[in-house]
Amino acid sequence: MSTHIKILKQVLQKYSSPMTLNYPSGVDKNRMYSQIPEGLRGFIERDEEKCIGCRACYMVCSGRATKIFDTAEKRTVQVFHFRCTYCAHCEECCPEEAIKMSKKFELAVTDKNDPKAYVNTDLKMLSCKACNRPYLPEKMQKRVFERLSEKIDAKVKGIVVEDYHKTEGFCPDCKRARGVMLDTHTKKHVWLEVV
Amino acid sequence: MADLAFTIVSIALIIPISLFLGVIYAFLLRKLNARFQWRVGPVVRMYSDLAPVIGSTRVWQPMYDILKLFGKDTLIPASAHKRLFTWSPYFSLFFSFAAVLFIPFPGMPLLSDTPYSLIVASYLLIASILFTILGPVASGSPWGAIGARREVELFLVAELGFVASLFLVAFMKGSLVIAELSGTVGSIPMVLVTLLAGITMFAAMLGKLHIKPFDMPEAECEIVAGPYTEYSGKLLGTYFLAKIFVLYSMVALFIAVFLPPVSSSVLWLPLYVVAALALVFLLAVVQVLNPRYAIRKALAWYMKIVVPLVIIGFIAAFALRMVA
Amino acid sequence: MGLIDRARIYSPWVYHFHCGGCNGCDIETLAALAPRFDAERFGIQLVASPRHADILITTGCVPKQFIPMIKRVYNQTPDPKVVVAIGGCACGGSLFYDEDPENYAILGSPDLLIPVDVYVPGCAPKPEQIINGIVQGILKLNEKATRGKK
Repeated sequence: MSTHIKILKQVLQKYSSPMTLNYPSGVDKNRMYSQIPEGLRGFIERDEEKCIGCRACYMVCSGRATKIFDTAEKRTVQVFHFRCTYCAHCEECCPEEAIKMSKKFELAVTDKNDPKAYVNTDLKMLSCKACNRPYLPEKMQKRVFERLSEKIDAKVKGIVVEDYHKTEGFCPDCKRARGVMLDTHTKKHVWLEVV
Repeated sequence: MADLAFTIVSIALIIPISLFLGVIYAFLLRKLNARFQWRVGPVVRMYSDLAPVIGSTRVWQPMYDILKLFGKDTLIPASAHKRLFTWSPYFSLFFSFAAVLFIPFPGMPLLSDTPYSLIVASYLLIASILFTILGPVASGSPWGAIGARREVELFLVAELGFVASLFLVAFMKGSLVIAELSGTVGSIPMVLVTLLAGITMFAAMLGKLHIKPFDMPEAECEIVAGPYTEYSGKLLGTYFLAKIFVLYSMVALFIAVFLPPVSSSVLWLPLYVVAALALVFLLAVVQVLNPRYAIRKALAWYMKIVVPLVIIGFIAAFALRMVA
Repeated sequence: MGLIDRARIYSPWVYHFHCGGCNGCDIETLAALAPRFDAERFGIQLVASPRHADILITTGCVPKQFIPMIKRVYNQTPDPKVVVAIGGCACGGSLFYDEDPENYAILGSPDLLIPVDVYVPGCAPKPEQIINGIVQGILKLNEKATRGKK
């Protein structure tokens, strides 16, 4: 009987002020709901200006939700929300910090092909001047060159930049094939010293 | 003739009144259960930005459940005995509604002044529960069989307390007609014995209405919905409707027999409503404080608590009959 | 709208059907029915038998031994009914589903066997997301029922 009295006291404690959140009601117009915790990992948002198409997020994705589709003109990086596990590995590994996990979490779709469940980013793809095969997105090439020129030693910077401009526009196989012809092969400094 | 006409009119009136009150009692049981668990139950006043889409109040929630069930398909399993399976819910509803007609409401004695109405009312309630045992047995499912078996055992002991408390009061006041029992109050010792019988009846009501310590026949998820496992659509809706009438009749019978003057004339109507709501509140409190008992423990509880109360009550009633 | 159509929106009954998986989505689904995010405010009730249900909630990616069970439970639910797939695994298989080569044990999402009406992605989805998905399921249920009548 005494346990019943104890339970009754606890039960009547919050009789008139229940602890329920009134969820579907009271949500802001842009669906911001006040109970969101600080570090919530919601849906993925990719900044189209910053993404360079380096495929790091594709390599690291846990649920195999990120897919890369290459055509002759463009590279599409697609995140399919149904397979995403919201682990934020792609946010951590993106070199340009283009991916952010937003705080939105409301997405219930009735159709698997609904465009709301996909995040697509298109990037222009470059084709090789010699063999016409698509090899790299344009932004990636530019960005890699920018990063390289920040960190390179001042002594060899001139030669590296000159060689880069000579081979710009060739895919890696064609670049290797034309190394001697364009005088950009890596052992040219060794030859000069010996000779 | 006027008497007959009045009875027919009051029988026609009791249909919506008993449905209305039964739905309110069922809603209150759910709402109080929720409030005691620190949550909001079915809302009484819906949030204003959702009200146009999903209605402005959920006070009629038990009725919406039943109406929705009437709109669904009815699937009959292949291993069921078809006639008993499909007819049991309708018999259960018929008997529980017939029991409503023999219990007085303030201002409308209905059929409660026929001779032996106490026996008729209690037998009609027993018959209604009988068909919640036969139907599931006919469904051919093992879960239905377990639920029906538990229902039979619980029913036997709860019936003991139910019948004993009713006949205690009948023996003491010397009458088997509900109208006379609810009309006379009697002396102070009679009121005390009526109170004792009322406590016994409350304990028996817990078993008959499947309130928390004794809801093991319909143990949800333990035996996959128990007796109602194979029922769907309009048959299940009929069972729920019969349950609402049984809830109303048990509360009304309690007030008629154990709170004597309240059911007799229309002036007592406010007190009738207050007494009914207080009874439902007590049932909800018991429901929230107790776990679900196993069937053996329930039988032992009834034997230990209800039987001594009944014996003491009968000795007291016999003494009172000898003295008066 | 008729009385029974209104009753269908006001009282949807939910059957929680666990088809394999890590139980994360199951815990979040039961949290959606617990005091903090009470779904019973809107009449949503958890029922114990698929024959009583309007909305079938499936969680988890389906192992191949489950295939006959899923079909059986789906057939035992009376019309009109709606299937809501909760969690990344139930929507598309997530981590556990390979396309090439095919996994020896896991089939993937239940929508290869039964028609799924609402997908709720997340790993595990928040209880608020689950309530949002159930509400969409209720609207789809009403649409199915009234379309069938016409």
